[in-house]
Amino acid sequence: MFISLPKLILVLPFILILPGFFLLLAFFGWKNEKISFFEKSALAVPLSLISVDLIVLLLARINVPLKGLNLVGSILIFCLLCFIVFQFRFRKKNQKSESREKRNGSESFFDFSFWQTVFILLSIALAIFIRTAYLSDTILPSSTDLGHHMYWVQKIIDSGELPDYGMPDFIIGEHMIFAAVNLISGVSLMSAMPALVLLLFNVAGIFAMAILLARLFKDKNIIAFSFFVAGVLYAVNAPQAKYVSGGVVGNVIGNMLIPIALYFLYRALKEKNQIFAGLSLFSFLGLLYTHHLSSLILIFSVAAILFVYLVLNFKRVFRIIGDWLKIFLKPAPIFFLISSLLYLLFIFTPSYFNSAAIGQATGSPLKVTRIGLNFDQIEMSVGSARLLLGALGFLLIFLNIKPKKIRYSFALGWFAILFVMAYKPGWLFINIPSDRIGNYLFLPLTLLSAYALVRYFEFFQSAASRFFATVLLFTLMFFVITDGMADSAEAFKTRPQFQEAMQTFHSADYLAKTLDTSQDVILKDHVNIYGDSWYKLFFMKDYKYPLSRGNLSRYVDPTKPRETCTRDMISDPQSDKGKMCFSETGVNYVVLNAQFEGNSFEKYPEFSKVYGSNYISVFRL
Amino acid sequence: MLLISFSVLFVIEAKNHNYDYKKSWSVVYFDNPRDDSLDFTIENHQGGKAEYDYEIFVGDDKVIDDKIKIEAGAKQKISPVIEDEKSKENKITIVVDYKDVEYKIYKNIR
Repeated sequence: MFISLPKLILVLPFILILPGFFLLLAFFGWKNEKISFFEKSALAVPLSLISVDLIVLLLARINVPLKGLNLVGSILIFCLLCFIVFQFRFRKKNQKSESREKRNGSESFFDFSFWQTVFILLSIALAIFIRTAYLSDTILPSSTDLGHHMYWVQKIIDSGELPDYGMPDFIIGEHMIFAAVNLISGVSLMSAMPALVLLLFNVAGIFAMAILLARLFKDKNIIAFSFFVAGVLYAVNAPQAKYVSGGVVGNVIGNMLIPIALYFLYRALKEKNQIFAGLSLFSFLGLLYTHHLSSLILIFSVAAILFVYLVLNFKRVFRIIGDWLKIFLKPAPIFFLISSLLYLLFIFTPSYFNSAAIGQATGSPLKVTRIGLNFDQIEMSVGSARLLLGALGFLLIFLNIKPKKIRYSFALGWFAILFVMAYKPGWLFINIPSDRIGNYLFLPLTLLSAYALVRYFEFFQSAASRFFATVLLFTLMFFVITDGMADSAEAFKTRPQFQEAMQTFHSADYLAKTLDTSQDVILKDHVNIYGDSWYKLFFMKDYKYPLSRGNLSRYVDPTKPRETCTRDMISDPQSDKGKMCFSETGVNYVVLNAQFEGNSFEKYPEFSKVYGSNYISVFRL
Repeated sequence: MLLISFSVLFVIEAKNHNYDYKKSWSVVYFDNPRDDSLDFTIENHQGGKAEYDYEIFVGDDKVIDDKIKIEAGAKQKISPVIEDEKSKENKITIVVDYKDVEYKIYKNIR
């Protein structure tokens, strides 16, 4: 432990700050009026993640084994290449401009006042504190999703190659970064490492929203409040700390990369800058390799933002489109576009790039979980306070709208499209679980909420009813803070399940050491065993080994028949169906919660009980 | 702040990623679940030295009744000697008691 921690603390900046820092250096130099130090800091983590992912993909494509030394060398070479580009592009410029270097206007809105700085630091401290407190009870690797993901990560580590998933459920970008951290630092996957990497992405996501808002509104108060809304309100609620501890890797990374891609896009369009246009494509490529749903959300968001802007400026539609094309038909974006296509076609094609997977996600929604959320469900998903503030922000932006300024289209279009995707997905032919879409609403709502909090006062400044406006604001803030924080407090009532998880791991270790996996087939009960998805890491035989009884609702699917053997062998092992299933699957060991089916299995004479702890029972047929 | 958070969480995880730290449980298992051997092990994760009573039954007949003390975090392997004739085609049950909790394992000898 005492060696692993410093190794992790040293390796994380090497992998998740250094490459992004050098990439930014290559594009913007040491000091550049286009980008502030604050923005560079916020961009370093997401750009590092994308860079490392692309490096790993390239190494795998040219058959270089994915080993620690190779990764260290490749990252250093990447940094060196960026440095050479930096030298080539900026050396002469620096010499000329060094003497007349002065602070520029674009940086000035990151020069916060004393109280703004205090407020931001307090918000960040509170955001990290709440997350840390929550994660301290869930930090032991035991969540279902994280277990599934870490199997594939371990596969990369063991083989030195990228895995062939054989299914569209997993995407390579969800796994490479964890493999890289392990291969370089040696810190085990069965430690706090995966959750800490996700926590870093989650916190980086807060900064990503802040720089997006900074550029959109150029208002320091809005930036300051964005830290409060994104970091403190509902800090535990999904998709925040709960997604970190739950190992919802794609969403956590997606929530960081979506604002980054939009940030670059906004700056590209606003400033007609080809570098930002190129970086928006670079961010989108990173997202494509990481999470299909987040990529879809980004595509719809961009489409809606541009559509709203064009509708608001319909008299100038062709001129605007022409201007946009001029930005994206320059060398930098064309280079990024061609590189992205080459990567997607020849280096690595994401597993969900096929007609079957696309067909599953599009079309009229059939299942009840995909037909949309009602208002109550949306409120539960994003939180009452955030929804209320967001609605207020939407209204204020709508009342203040200036059609020629694209920032208003960003705010309105982004929220509107995500709301429709969550509320009536059928209108857009989206066939994806609606609650998963609903979780993305927190992104535009953060933007709208921060805007609402700041503009509220300005809106009423000239009004005679300022006193009542103040009273109303404080009432609103009281509700926002109590509701937003109470949600986090509620999460702390859950009891840590470290003892159960360790007993699960003990039973897995026992079976891995004593069974012959070429002959023995294990069935475990996912419904009643905590941390069971990590079982497969003890065997590393196959993603579907051991077999698992899933949540019972999964066996009922109106659209197609599902296998039920994994359910029937535990629910009714002595029935004809149960016996047939044992015969067909070859299952001869059953792992159960000792308090539930573990007790009832003792009455079946065909089974021997070979392992018994307070929590786990193992039966042999 | 993030560095402190990472360090705290890492240490919490490392401490709790242990069968004994702040835990109270025991486990009994056959050393080889695949064959008919009867060697078994008791592991003590109760947080302190514990005395376990164990009984071995052949069918319904109790053939061994004994006690064993195991240090905290330690395990003890036990190799019961039972006549082959008795155990043949019978159910051998091992019942281990610690305080009010009973841990039972058994094999149907083929």
